[in-house]
Amino acid sequence: MSGGVYGGDEVGALVFDMGSYSVRAGYAGEDCPKADFPTVIGVTLDREDGSTLMETDGEKGKQSATTYYIDTNQLRVPRESMEVIEKLTELMFEHYNIPAFFLCKSAVLSAFANGRSTGLVLDSGSTHTTAIPVHDGYVLQQGIVKSPLAGDFMSMQCRELFQELGVEIVPPYVIASKDSVREGAPAIWKKKEKLPQVTRSWHNYMCNTVIQDFQASVLQVSDSPYDEQVAAQMPTVHYELPNGYNCDFGAERLKIPDGLLDPSNAKGLSGNTMLGVGHVVTTSVGMCDIDIRPGLYGSVVVTGGNTLIQGFTDRLNRELSQKTPPSMRLKLIANNTTVERRFSAWIGGSILASLGTFQQMWISKQEYEEGGKQCVDRKCP
Amino acid sequence: MTTGADVRDILELAGGDNDSGPISKKDIINSDKKKAKKVTETLTFKRPEGMHREVYALLYSDKNRDAPPLLPSDTTQGYRTVKAKLGCKKVRPWKWMPFSNPARKDGTIFHHWRRAAEEGKDYPFARFSKTVQVPLYSEQEYQMYLHDDGWTKAETDHLFDLCKRFDLRFIVIHDRYDHQQYRKRSVEDLKERYYNICGKLTKVRAGTGTEPKIYIFDAGHERRRKEQLERLFNRTPEQVAEEEYLIQELRKIETRKKEREKKSQDLQKLITAADTTTEMRRAERKATKKKLPQKRETEKPAVPETAGIKFPDFKSAGVSLRSQRMKLPSSVGQKKIKAIEQILTEQGVDLNPMPTEEIVHMFNELRSDLVLVYELKQAYSNCEYEQQMLRHRYDALLKAGGTVTPLSESSGAPDSQSWPGADDIKTEAKEQLIDVVGAPLTPNSRKRRESASSSSSIKKVKKP
Repeated sequence: MSGGVYGGDEVGALVFDMGSYSVRAGYAGEDCPKADFPTVIGVTLDREDGSTLMETDGEKGKQSATTYYIDTNQLRVPRESMEVIEKLTELMFEHYNIPAFFLCKSAVLSAFANGRSTGLVLDSGSTHTTAIPVHDGYVLQQGIVKSPLAGDFMSMQCRELFQELGVEIVPPYVIASKDSVREGAPAIWKKKEKLPQVTRSWHNYMCNTVIQDFQASVLQVSDSPYDEQVAAQMPTVHYELPNGYNCDFGAERLKIPDGLLDPSNAKGLSGNTMLGVGHVVTTSVGMCDIDIRPGLYGSVVVTGGNTLIQGFTDRLNRELSQKTPPSMRLKLIANNTTVERRFSAWIGGSILASLGTFQQMWISKQEYEEGGKQCVDRKCP
Repeated sequence: MTTGADVRDILELAGGDNDSGPISKKDIINSDKKKAKKVTETLTFKRPEGMHREVYALLYSDKNRDAPPLLPSDTTQGYRTVKAKLGCKKVRPWKWMPFSNPARKDGTIFHHWRRAAEEGKDYPFARFSKTVQVPLYSEQEYQMYLHDDGWTKAETDHLFDLCKRFDLRFIVIHDRYDHQQYRKRSVEDLKERYYNICGKLTKVRAGTGTEPKIYIFDAGHERRRKEQLERLFNRTPEQVAEEEYLIQELRKIETRKKEREKKSQDLQKLITAADTTTEMRRAERKATKKKLPQKRETEKPAVPETAGIKFPDFKSAGVSLRSQRMKLPSSVGQKKIKAIEQILTEQGVDLNPMPTEEIVHMFNELRSDLVLVYELKQAYSNCEYEQQMLRHRYDALLKAGGTVTPLSESSGAPDSQSWPGADDIKTEAKEQLIDVVGAPLTPNSRKRRESASSSSSIKKVKKP
């Protein structure tokens, strides 16, 4: 029988991972999601010329109404509250008529994707950074620590930086042509003729993509807490905006992400009430039972797109080893490929859904009909 | 070194097994008939395909071709690199089949791909569905045995429900415990209650006669252990450093204490040796005067042999020179030899007297006594030095402490030159409260020795 060797059994399940930045979807048993699209809903307003304006909004939605021949479905959602969960279950079973369904927490799946059932999952995504202790495959809810300093926070800081520099963020769809200018000079570009009218939100969305691209390619986390002299000596990175403005960024590339790890320096924060990433981790572990702390420190799983900034893991390693007692064995697990780190929750879901021993854990339609929405709470830990 | 046979074997050419042994004299010189004989005699074991020739050579070397292997094995399988058998047979068909998992309670039908031949067999993963046995109690049992003041029935039920759901993972149970509705319980509380109930139930249900094995959970011990772990975890680096420093200091103190004890013991031995030898001598002389040889013999075994020099007793068979008995044993150190020589020359005694019986005996005794005196003097001067040091320290501490009552000067030092680094002592006094054992042999020690030897102490010993 296929998969009998490693304990897998393909049932034809779909795995969905809803993030606040992007949605990952694909078949279970594969090693990366087939679809990865941004979490925005585009609503087209009626126009004669058929162009699609998009009013962007938050949260989930399926872009295309595909009819997929599936048997089963597994969703993975950040667990906000019971109402959301129950609503989701209801939606799945009644609206979409799914035969079986299962919800699992993303932290647990990230841990599974890295081969562990116990560990501290540090997820730094776009909206927030969370440290979630996972023990034996169950999340310890009382140890979850959240901080709003994440990708969006850094985008905001980048935006401020550009404002300070007096540079205008122009998304690519506006630009018709541009001339090359020397460094630091204001950009010379021509606006496209006959641009259709776009909504404010869509324009913002496109600007955000520009900033996010800047963020991903230029920013770096330094090895030690931010120091003016050290930063001035770092090599500069050249970056060109879509409108032609190009510049070398030196100290700023280190300054902005440092706000993540040490918020006392960052601008725009009210006092020192925010926790840096290192503090988030240690607080989370500190809230757990002392017997499991070595286990948690021994497998700190780093996931989330925001952690892909250059130097993030090294700096985190350093901070944690400073804060833990010297006898503690600290191990950071961070996959180096972008795919694995961004999609680790999805990959964990894929692994879980294809296990032979998992097949008994689905919530089937029958169970839902018998038990109602509360069965989700019981069956999905 | 590869022979032609090896080369052929590597290249897997034919004709490998004919005469693959090393070429010997016989092969060259011998006639053909013997060669032919050899060929027919030997059984050729064909090396199984896929086995490396070195491995094969270990098994069946040239000499012991007919040695059977210790464990008969089947070499037809296993050494072949398994290649995919893309045969000409038809592909076994796979079907998208429905199946039900016996571990599920609702009997949902799922579909998956399976070989058509395996239809109808059980779902193989069902056997992995194991759960922990959590005991269930009835209402009655609860009322009778399990009643507890700190726990209501509802709370106990909640606890057991969680235990069942989470398979006794107490940390997760503690995390999911409803703290708003019930009181805040620690992990130990939950464990304690659970194991208490389990214990009572097993006792009750076991019936009479059998003594069931109950797991005793010591909650107090667990609490103390966790508290200690917390404290250990929360130690600051300064505390850790301080602890290490204290441990080191403790070790230093212990070693110094041991040294001191050893020295005092040595000293003790020396003194007793000196006392007993003098006693013995007096007894000897008295005995010779009063002509009572018996006393001498009773007192002899009391002398410890570590003091003085032990001259080896010459039990030679045959002829030997008496002067050999006068020779100093090699165990005596250079300094002692020099000291002996010095004293002897000062007193005008010949260093190598005529070895008559009596002279040899007396000379050996003399030298032994001299060594004893030397050792005693050294010990004495060491003690004096120590006393001086401590006195200085004490004065320094007093001064540092603020009270001004310096002790009177040290008495009876043989030499009164300034001690090296009296200022150092004062500054060190605060740090080194632990005394230093053993006087270093400064240049003063020689002066000390000379002055000691020239003093009247030797004369005292000579007189009875």
